[in-house]
Amino acid sequence: MDNTARNIDIPRKEPQEQELQKDRSRQACAHLLNHANILFGIALLLMAVPGKRPVADIHTWHLAGFLLFVEALYGASVLCRACSEMKRRSATDLTAIVLAGIILWELTTSKLDLFERLIFPVPGKVIAVFIEEIPMFMKCLASSLQLLGAGFSLALVTAIPLALLIGWRKRLFAVVNPMTKVLGPIPPIVYIPYSIAIFPTFKCSSIFIIFIGAFWPIFINTLNGTFNIEPKIIDSARVLNVRERTLLFRIILPAILPAIISGATLGLVFSFILLTAAEMIGSSSGLGWYVKYFSDFADYPRVVAGIIFIGMVVTAITFFFEMIEKKLLRWRS
Amino acid sequence: MGERMGKIRLENVTFSYQQQGVAGPVVEDVSLTIREGEFVSFIGPSGCGKSTVLRLLSGLSRPSGGRILLNGREIAGTGHERGVVFQHYALFPWMTARDNVIFGLRQCPGGMTRKNVSAMADRYLDLVGLHDVGDKYPNQLSGGMQQRVTIARAFAMDTDILLMDEPFSAVDARNRMKLQELLLELWRKGEKKKTVVFVTHDVDEAILLSDRIVVLSACSKGIKEQIEVGLSRPRNWSLLANTATYTALRNRLIGLLFTDLVEETKLAI
Repeated sequence: MDNTARNIDIPRKEPQEQELQKDRSRQACAHLLNHANILFGIALLLMAVPGKRPVADIHTWHLAGFLLFVEALYGASVLCRACSEMKRRSATDLTAIVLAGIILWELTTSKLDLFERLIFPVPGKVIAVFIEEIPMFMKCLASSLQLLGAGFSLALVTAIPLALLIGWRKRLFAVVNPMTKVLGPIPPIVYIPYSIAIFPTFKCSSIFIIFIGAFWPIFINTLNGTFNIEPKIIDSARVLNVRERTLLFRIILPAILPAIISGATLGLVFSFILLTAAEMIGSSSGLGWYVKYFSDFADYPRVVAGIIFIGMVVTAITFFFEMIEKKLLRWRS
Repeated sequence: MGERMGKIRLENVTFSYQQQGVAGPVVEDVSLTIREGEFVSFIGPSGCGKSTVLRLLSGLSRPSGGRILLNGREIAGTGHERGVVFQHYALFPWMTARDNVIFGLRQCPGGMTRKNVSAMADRYLDLVGLHDVGDKYPNQLSGGMQQRVTIARAFAMDTDILLMDEPFSAVDARNRMKLQELLLELWRKGEKKKTVVFVTHDVDEAILLSDRIVVLSACSKGIKEQIEVGLSRPRNWSLLANTATYTALRNRLIGLLFTDLVEETKLAI
């Protein structure tokens, strides 16, 4: 039995190696002929096809430029040696999705002219407007981040110490915990009209709204984290004879930091939603105001560009937040 | 430093859980005196309350009956004169090994300077053979290494009394033997010997380390027997392994633990 098995095995080795090389070249082909690159080709070809809707040349060039920009970004990320295979694959998928979206958009608007021209601008036009409006976006961004930063940091510095103190005292927790169950779920958006009435300026009232939105997730997570903290950690600290303040801020706080951070992430998302909502209702600056203002003028290319910019801002903030999280929780890895 | 004090007296100590559902006491009517500088082990089957005794001594729990005296004064909580090493690594995962030791030292009274504290931490990490992993987080260390950091912290804090609850039970056999000998050495080298109360379920460990072994019973929830070890010091595994006294002690202890097991089984049936 053994002998026959060996006899069969030896001659098989070479074809296997050939197979492997074929695999490699096939893989290289797959690198070039993947869905992202194919979609890029389709998008370029599509631009040559005459459409039903008249489109200014300058907008066509903007679209072409954008397609090249996306492809260049994708090429750079694929060629980047530091990137893992996983990351490359998701870069391919992401590029493919973006390109597919652009193709669909271009096809339904400028090529087939299926929808109302005013409400559904062509992609080239939106891209042109986007570039044109960057200085304005930056101004709006500064105004929005000011409010967001003030409201969110106010929530952080009040919710965390308060929740630590209350969560640590069983008696206080027993009173406050049911209260959070009533107050926490009230959608903070309903406070907007009232807070505009209460506070002297729009700035104050929107900071207050953002504060409320961020406060509850941070507070509730910190509260429960403190209350349910592993007794082992408290015992370890107790036998070292730590003082109560040290116990709260140097033991419990870092121990429940993962819970606090997940609350803060949730709070950040809420605050951003509330920020834009508040700006739409009562502001004369900021990202939410921008979108609302231009939709009042039926300037939909600007509305779409504004929405895309807001999406990019949220992504950047979330990314930044994740970086902080990684830094703070590096001991967990 | 003034006169070291490490005399512990347990007087009719009883402990039972306050919550409903757990019937009867966990520890019942334990009376015992531990001399200054003595190394005493508590041994017994699981559920005999040996860890509870240690929790009572550490001040994390209060006895429901009787009292525990420390140099004549009743224990009212944790104290700076007692250091504790738990079975499971009691390091804070968000601090590096060195920071864990430093944090322990900073809680001691007598305000050392920052520089002294840091030097002291390095010295004790060095003593347990971990000088080069001081900047690692507990998660990056093996179980045995983590436990060595805990021991370094306990010794660096230089308490008169050291309470250890199965400190080596989660460590693999080879490292356990190393740590046991390390503990003996650190204890012997101290200017004045610490009083050590050591909880274990390992007969050999108890013999190697202790001056006296207190055998607890799972049935009576109290002390079954106390055995003076009487082997000469310094001890180590290779000296001890085949001596007649060691074998005799070992057999006697196993006998004591085994009868307990038999009684328990009878009760269960």
